[in-house]
Amino acid sequence: MNTIAEFMTHDHKACDNEFADAEQAAFDGDWSKTEASFNAFRNDMAHHFRMEEEALFPTLQSAGGPSGPVQMMLMEHVQMNDLIADMAAAVAEKDEDKYRGLSETLLIVMQQHNHKEEQILYPIADHILSAQRESVLERMQAV
Amino acid sequence: MKLASLSTDQAPPIFIPLRFFAVAPLFMILAALLLATSNGNPFSDIHSPALLAATHCITLGFVAMTMLGAIQQILPVMIGSTMPAPAPVAWLTLLSLTLGTLLLSSGFMLGKAELLNLAWPLLGLTFLVFIGASLVSLTRAAARNVTKAAVLLALFALTGAITLGALLARGYATGLALDYLRLAAAHISLALGGWVMLLIVGVSYQVVPMFQITPPYPKRLTETLAPAIFAVLLINLAILLLEPASRWPGFIAESLFWLLSGCFAVVTLRLQNQRKRRIADATLSFFQLGMFSLLLAALFSLASFIPSTAFAQPRLLSAIAFLLGFAMSLIQGMLYKIIPFLVWFHLFRGGPSATKVGIPNVKEVIPERWMWRHLWLHGATILAALLASGWDAAVWLLALGLLLQGLLLGYAVFTGIAVYRRTLRKIEQASR
Repeated sequence: MNTIAEFMTHDHKACDNEFADAEQAAFDGDWSKTEASFNAFRNDMAHHFRMEEEALFPTLQSAGGPSGPVQMMLMEHVQMNDLIADMAAAVAEKDEDKYRGLSETLLIVMQQHNHKEEQILYPIADHILSAQRESVLERMQAV
Repeated sequence: MKLASLSTDQAPPIFIPLRFFAVAPLFMILAALLLATSNGNPFSDIHSPALLAATHCITLGFVAMTMLGAIQQILPVMIGSTMPAPAPVAWLTLLSLTLGTLLLSSGFMLGKAELLNLAWPLLGLTFLVFIGASLVSLTRAAARNVTKAAVLLALFALTGAITLGALLARGYATGLALDYLRLAAAHISLALGGWVMLLIVGVSYQVVPMFQITPPYPKRLTETLAPAIFAVLLINLAILLLEPASRWPGFIAESLFWLLSGCFAVVTLRLQNQRKRRIADATLSFFQLGMFSLLLAALFSLASFIPSTAFAQPRLLSAIAFLLGFAMSLIQGMLYKIIPFLVWFHLFRGGPSATKVGIPNVKEVIPERWMWRHLWLHGATILAALLASGWDAAVWLLALGLLLQGLLLGYAVFTGIAVYRRTLRKIEQASR
């Protein structure tokens, strides 16, 4: 992995795949598999958010990066966490309609969010943090 | 790179796209009524008043209406730059497009020159404002991506299509001695092959991988397809206007266009086949129906070059497959994705009170079973349209199909608006 954009985009794709696995299992009515796939998805999403909130965003801001876009991304993390919490409740209740409705909603929010990060924020981070990219990547991986 | 683009709230007010989406189904209903009340089979002559009037209800009243609404929503979010003066631009384009389309269609239907003479300046104004605002937005855009390039080329094609359309309408109204057949061919080529095709290509690059979790479009394709289509259209335009003695240049240019479009359809279908998200999804099925229709349009168009062809009017069939089968399938599929999301998205911004009240998720805004019914109805409507030139009863089926689709889509849009209003009231009460 060379750039922050490549590393984080790869992580987005991994989360997308787990998302699709969990959704498929819920659609098939296989709740033990849904629970396992959903938990994997939720943990990886939480890990991804932590990499950004604890390592990438603070470093970017202390290097003089833009605060507005970062605030926007943090707000969307809250949105997604709300939806993920509701999805966890749907898994606990084994409520397929609720799960699918929430998962469809999350998919659109998540994809829009990823798109903005991949197209704009990560390239900005790669540019501003070019001198310390290696150490930022190490810190993110250590989260 | 402009950093401000992510910082502000980029989404325009919800009424901007929704008002366009609410008006568009009315034009499907109007097209149905025009076809049903025509004298004789409107498809027996491609320049029959009813067919001209109904076609422009679909192209301007439905396709352009939804695309203008969607672009004013999508450009800020997808490309990261806002439209200048979003509310005035939305109102001006919505009203002038609605009125201009009504005047143009009634002018064609009734053969009234004065209506056409009112229509073309109004439609010219619509697109002048829209294209101007979109160009400002694109030049402000932070992201440099293939979608932006395709949208830009689509806007250039639209400029040409509208200029030719205005010239044709004015000529038709005042009895100018123009070469109508060739100018109309150039107008259709730029409007459908340019504006509609390039816009769909550019937006697909983003939405297909995003919503179905497919691999991305190959880089070689995204970097070259839209410019190649645009170049072929320019060559085709030159051939149409210069009128060479041989048929070969026209045949080659048209074959190249359909080859490129066919590539797009095949690659899209292959990507969708590799999608990670396997669950049934009405938008995906609308998309697939659209891509198969695009391939069908290509086959019909190429068949028109075969002498003594088995099909009566292969060019007419190609245009039907393209407009109804390709463009309308994709647009309706996308509307069923966009409208519920917009409702959810704008309600979510109600903050903590919104969470307390409980916001309906996207599947609770428009019931999914309606989308599936609409898909089947739409498939049947396309089939009726393809049969209409050879079978008078199919004209009635087509009119019925368009009428029911307009009612269904209109009901879906109004249900979305009603859910939004109802939940917003609850949020406001909770936050008092």
